[in-house]
Amino acid sequence: MIFKTTLKLALTISIGLVTTGVATGVASAEDFSKGSKAATFGLRGETKATFSGKVVDILCELSGDCPANCGDGNRNLGIVREADGKLILVSKNAQFEFNGAVDDLLPYCGKAVDVDGLMIGNDPGVKAQIYMVQLIREKGAADWNKAELWTSAWAKRNPGAAGKGPWYNRDPRVAKQIKKDGRLGLGHAADKKYQEE
Amino acid sequence: MNPLRTALFGLIAGACALAASSAGAIAATPAKTVEIKGEIIDTWCYLSGVMGGPEAVVGSAHHTCALWCAAGGIPVGVRAEDGTVYMVLKIKGEDPLAQTDTILEIQSDTIVAKGSHYVRDGINYLVVAQVVANEGITNKNHEDFGVVPGFAFPEAE
Repeated sequence: MIFKTTLKLALTISIGLVTTGVATGVASAEDFSKGSKAATFGLRGETKATFSGKVVDILCELSGDCPANCGDGNRNLGIVREADGKLILVSKNAQFEFNGAVDDLLPYCGKAVDVDGLMIGNDPGVKAQIYMVQLIREKGAADWNKAELWTSAWAKRNPGAAGKGPWYNRDPRVAKQIKKDGRLGLGHAADKKYQEE
Repeated sequence: MNPLRTALFGLIAGACALAASSAGAIAATPAKTVEIKGEIIDTWCYLSGVMGGPEAVVGSAHHTCALWCAAGGIPVGVRAEDGTVYMVLKIKGEDPLAQTDTILEIQSDTIVAKGSHYVRDGINYLVVAQVVANEGITNKNHEDFGVVPGFAFPEAE
């Protein structure tokens, strides 16, 4: 009797384990491109991806070091994807002026969002893809917002850098480095030599 | 111990481990203390291929663009000598997107970083506690690739 009960219990747990494993596998293999309206650019490993998840401060998520409001724009942010619990590193917004995604994600810190964009990369040195967010909205909201907030946020942070031309040619921190070490980072003599060649 | 009981305990332990692994999505990830030598890179251009192959979007060839991307809030990485890329989440106590010069000062440099290493869902993350050595820009690849992108070096300057 005891033998039979124990065996039954063991069998039940085994089935449960296998089922859970299969379910996890199915979730991780989900096709997130379905329904995506993301623009494509022919980038490395590019795949459309639209999904829901929670906006998180990555360092907080990893270490428990959690300042208020996801670090107020000073930290890298990501999305914990609802479908499989994976932490997705959001590296880029939809602008093409060397802009990250933190200003677009920050208003949703700790909130559930829907996003649409591209998973990028297939480098052997990174065993997962990073995300370029193009559209974002609070989960279930009717309207999408374009993930293009970076340049206006930069202008607010740098009121003294107003003027013509792209932000990166007016950014005071970038200008300071170029003034110090040149555009190659090797000193102004190296820049001059390169220009003469 | 009864072999059946041992098997049962094994299964229960396995179930607990699986449950813990599923719950990993919300639990803090254990960190390892590491010392890594590598080059500070702009991870977007490096991983996306938007401006060419990986060897052209590092080093002196890509230095100005790396400054733009770091100032633009794109995650900065350390490419170790074995090719592994570590996303920098903190540098010498500062958050990486803080409006200071710390992370810009070391763009394209080859450094030895000491800190905490986390891995989550295939991505390596690094909290750099200390830059124990900085060799400056050792990858002078502008000699091979020119400047990438070309407009990073205005001729009329």
